[in-house]
Amino acid sequence: MQRRERNLGLLYSAPLTIFLFLAFLAPICLVAAFSAMPEKVFSLTQMPDFSAYRTVLEQGYWKSVAWSLFMAFVATLILLVICWPLAFGMAKVFKRFTLVLTIGVVMTLFVSENIRLFGWVLTLMKGGLIEGYWRHWTGVGFDAPLYNGPIIVFGLVYVYLPFMLFPLAQGIAMVPDDARQSAYDLGATRWQILKEIDLPLAMPGIMVGSLLTFVLAAGAMAESKLLGGRAIITIADEVQTAFTYGQNWPLGSALAMVLIAIIGTVAIWAISKADLDKMMGRKA
Amino acid sequence: MKLSRRSFTAGLGAAGAASLLKPSMSLAARPDELNILCWEGYNTDDVLGPFRDLNPGATVRAESGTSDPDMINKLRAGEVNVWDLINLNQPWARGQLYPAGLIKPLDKERFMPFFEKMTPEYGNPPYPLAFAEDEELIGMPQRYGPFSFVVNTDKISREMAEDMGWKLFLEPDMADRFGILTYDNWNIMHMCLTADLNPFESLDEAGFTAFEDTAAKIFAGAKLMSDDLVAMNTALINGEIDAYFTGGTYTASPARLDGMTQIRGITPKSGPIDGKGGVVWAELTSLVNNPDPSPLAADFLEFVQKPEIAKAVGFAEGTYNPVAQMGDPDVFAMWDSDELDAIQWDSLEEESANSVEYDEVADYDKLMEIYTVLRRG
Repeated sequence: MQRRERNLGLLYSAPLTIFLFLAFLAPICLVAAFSAMPEKVFSLTQMPDFSAYRTVLEQGYWKSVAWSLFMAFVATLILLVICWPLAFGMAKVFKRFTLVLTIGVVMTLFVSENIRLFGWVLTLMKGGLIEGYWRHWTGVGFDAPLYNGPIIVFGLVYVYLPFMLFPLAQGIAMVPDDARQSAYDLGATRWQILKEIDLPLAMPGIMVGSLLTFVLAAGAMAESKLLGGRAIITIADEVQTAFTYGQNWPLGSALAMVLIAIIGTVAIWAISKADLDKMMGRKA
Repeated sequence: MKLSRRSFTAGLGAAGAASLLKPSMSLAARPDELNILCWEGYNTDDVLGPFRDLNPGATVRAESGTSDPDMINKLRAGEVNVWDLINLNQPWARGQLYPAGLIKPLDKERFMPFFEKMTPEYGNPPYPLAFAEDEELIGMPQRYGPFSFVVNTDKISREMAEDMGWKLFLEPDMADRFGILTYDNWNIMHMCLTADLNPFESLDEAGFTAFEDTAAKIFAGAKLMSDDLVAMNTALINGEIDAYFTGGTYTASPARLDGMTQIRGITPKSGPIDGKGGVVWAELTSLVNNPDPSPLAADFLEFVQKPEIAKAVGFAEGTYNPVAQMGDPDVFAMWDSDELDAIQWDSLEEESANSVEYDEVADYDKLMEIYTVLRRG
């Protein structure tokens, strides 16, 4: 009986499994296969020689990988700090205003990322909204804060804010008020409550939010292209160049595989470190 | 027949599976279908609308690409079954698409007469680069334009820019005063010209070193890089930069038509290729080697030679360009004086004369490697 049930389970899940395989795993397998091909070929019928990976190592692509990961890490940290009070307010304080805030943040997602970033360019550029008015009123102009590394991180923070905010608010909502109040009654300071109660109990939200933002930011390129004036070339940009102007699909695939491997390792490591089930109280 | 929920689901599953197995089934009605892969312009209602009126019942679709290699990738990835026409800059057609069997020759009898009405550069003799090495006609030229660099003439005069040519970007006091429009393949060509090299011939070791030194200097001096021509024009108009490396009529014309005529494409007066330092591009529209071809493809190619359609292609939204068909007085009459000024008609002939044809870069792979390493900084 039990065996039959298990078989039924497999059968029931088969359509979804097949769909996931075709839609999700197959493209990655294709990229993996291409990455092993000799450079500059456009079919999978060649003998694999992994030469694209050698090119990745020899031609300094690690710089772009390192920059992308570093900027994603910094953006995630900044987002965590910015979003914590906001998420706390949404989960515990704002009540009805939470809905307004949610709609406000979600609305930004209705507009394409490129258009929103270009809006920032028009705001920040020389003669733009800020500098233009400033010069009009004071007669003194200043250089636009565009085309450098920090502005790219700003762009990442701006674009990926919702991806940190909502999981974090969800996480904080899971912290029982009773636990916080008991801690106060027992004489805990605000800092102790944050450290001993809020952070550990909201950890699932923190983990999910951080992973989402880090993974998305590591693969981003529009921020560097539009706001940063390509002052830093991201790894996603390198992948695009290899596939298009380089006409070198194996090199693009190898670069993509390197990014997938690094991000995958980080994600799996983080998820295994933080046992979500345990934190959510489903296991003893 | 009684349709139960189970049989309906099973049928749906089977239909879904069938569509996965045989994607070409959706392309059955080919005589009534035309799919065009093109640069912006051919996909506008001004161009497609009249063609649809001429062919009622036909499904005419056009998709605009964002770069030549992007569009080539689509064909390489198996979409030769989908597209009937492809519109690309000419070296890709000759260098990549025709040798790879992705496009096929045109009927010379039908299309050669159109060359007679073109501007002298394209019509007399018929544009040599529209022909493959085996002398087959592989595409029809239409839009073209000189493509070197762009300056704000309020800051840098046209004469000075033309006289200094590419060396302008190596001047110490130009550091942080220019941007790079990162059309990578064009940047490579232009960096070769800046280094007094001919990009269309193989380079020796000294050549590669010269390219590397020059490219490094240009990247170091650039204030910003972007592959977006609007971003580049905006920076030029608001004074963020005074010039941008790589650009021409195609990129300057939208700003010029808006009245910002100080934005001007510049063609150097001299350079390393037989004394010429500018480059001119021309697009070719070619028949895709579709195993199930649509007869409408060649009809469309003939249709876009008409005066009002040639004008619509040249003056599509986004960018404005001269067309080879302007050699025909009926076509030329369609342009008003502001529009002619936007495409720098006053200097077009002179600029074309100072330019060499955009061609395949001989050592593209090696130069692209050097370029990407240096761009990364």
